Amino acid sequence: MKIVTILKQVPDAEARVRSKDGTLDLSGATFVIDGMDEYGVEEALRIREGGADAEIVALAFGPKRTAEAIRTALAMGVDRAVHVLGDEPLDALATARVLAPLVRDEGADLVFVGGKQADWDSAALGPALAEALGWPHSDWTTSLTLGDGALEVIHDVDDGSETLTLPLPAVVTTQQGLNEPRYPTLPNIMKAKRKTLDTRALDEVAAAAGVSATSTTELRSAVIESRARRNVMIEGDAASAAAELVRRLRDEAKVL
Amino acid sequence: MQLAVRDFARNEIAPIAATLDREPRFPWETLRRMGDLGLLGLMSPEEYGGAGIDTLGYVVLLEEIAAADASHSTIMSVTNGLPQQLILRYGTPEQRTRCLPKLASGEWIGAFCLTEPHCGSDAAAITTRADRVEGGYLLRGTKAWITGGGEAQLYLVMAKTEPDAGARGVSCFLVEKGAEGLHFGPPEGKLGQHAAIATSVTFDDLFVPEEARLGDEGQGFVMSMTSLDGGRIGIAAQAVGIARAALDAAIAYADDREAFGQPIREFQGVSFKLADMATRLDAARLLTWRAAWLKDRGYRVTKEASMAKLFASEAASFVTDGAVQVFGGYGYSTDFPVERLFRDARVTELYEGTSEIQRVVIGRQLYREQGR
Repeated sequence: MKIVTILKQVPDAEARVRSKDGTLDLSGATFVIDGMDEYGVEEALRIREGGADAEIVALAFGPKRTAEAIRTALAMGVDRAVHVLGDEPLDALATARVLAPLVRDEGADLVFVGGKQADWDSAALGPALAEALGWPHSDWTTSLTLGDGALEVIHDVDDGSETLTLPLPAVVTTQQGLNEPRYPTLPNIMKAKRKTLDTRALDEVAAAAGVSATSTTELRSAVIESRARRNVMIEGDAASAAAELVRRLRDEAKVL
Repeated sequence: MQLAVRDFARNEIAPIAATLDREPRFPWETLRRMGDLGLLGLMSPEEYGGAGIDTLGYVVLLEEIAAADASHSTIMSVTNGLPQQLILRYGTPEQRTRCLPKLASGEWIGAFCLTEPHCGSDAAAITTRADRVEGGYLLRGTKAWITGGGEAQLYLVMAKTEPDAGARGVSCFLVEKGAEGLHFGPPEGKLGQHAAIATSVTFDDLFVPEEARLGDEGQGFVMSMTSLDGGRIGIAAQAVGIARAALDAAIAYADDREAFGQPIREFQGVSFKLADMATRLDAARLLTWRAAWLKDRGYRVTKEASMAKLFASEAASFVTDGAVQVFGGYGYSTDFPVERLFRDARVTELYEGTSEIQRVVIGRQLYREQGR
């Protein structure tokens, strides 16, 4: 079988990011593979390690630096990768339109997409890709068992979880708890340098498939909310200060 | 590779460093994971399960581990260093096949037994003996400060096969844990690096078969001397890592901590100190990388390795001391990491040759280079 994992490179949430004039200042930021995409890579690797005869292909859209995130996936154990190179960001619908024909050309049986992209906090790419392909989709997936031509999944819903059976091919988006992604081993990092990373220009990919590579979402403005701390100092001895703190937490902040 | 190891070290090792300092134990769980990643057989060839990288790559990764926890980096440098390097270079095919894959994977940790209670830097003066008996040797004597004592599975032991022959009478033996006559003292009380458990190791008429001798009889001293350069570069890298952790902590603290209405980094007394710390750290790293880079190209690096080790270890003491000062009273508190870094750094000026020995080596090389 063939498994495609969709990757996105996002700013490292653990590093400091500066905001400037109401927008993010990404100069000097470190970028990493999206954590929820890593769940997808890990799950694909586990399916293969569980005995499935699977080729795993990573597929990513993004600027040149995206190749670093792709190398991480290759170092984790993905066999080869396709990078659709485009400098300007695309919305989820346009990204899905561009990637869907490539997924189909690969002859994929199963596609993993991160449940939510950490940069814009959008959860639309997985469903949009499933729609573009016309394939069934399980979102917020926390458990997955591969059967004969079908997939049994458990996924989160508002009130708890559901168990679904999907015919293949299918799109699965990940949820925290699906697995614990591995660290790449050093020998695999070195092997990753020799693996195939096929880079294609966005325009050519879109033209070949006859789809539009233009976002339909228009970004009018973005504002980063920032709040000043109140810096309240409670005076008095420890016992009365503690009592005052409890009073404020209960009566004013209403968190107790 | 550096980023992958940094990520691992930050997430898996750094969070347990303070606990390991307070409640010392040999960190097997994280060591095994380091083995899985390939960090314990970095310079061994792939055919023996190693990662097959060069010295420069090794020191870059060792710095990452040291920046998370010095004890882990000490254990990492010991097991990557002499045990694997010497077996690779002097071992029989059987010895290599038996030992190297286990060491590279972290299934085994290796220990190097040269130092004795009365001699460290004067390696020819050891008194542990290996007396010939039928089929092998009987080892008798005591080694001191053995990192991994009681925990490691493989001990490379330097012992005199010819007690009167000085340096030429030293041979090297492979002793596996569990051998009859192998005893360990209790963990030594140390200023820092508490999880890098070190004990005395005693050989009580311990029989080693002929096949467990590494290299030829009398080759032991040369073996330990030719590998000193690599070991010193490793300690330099470790010192750089510890210093980096201290500098990073001081930079962050000086930004957050306010006094007299502004972050203390605004005060020249603090910012100049940070500038000096950063400059020495960078110089130490560059000396370390230079020594590693030259070694990878086949140059003799006795002087360069000693310079890197000397400068980096003294820089680590300077930088960690400076970090304590920047933290003020909190720098003295065990609630913050810098007092631990200060203690962890100190030994880098002592082991693998004290700073005084490094100066002796550098001084001698200055004349040797000119043929005097």
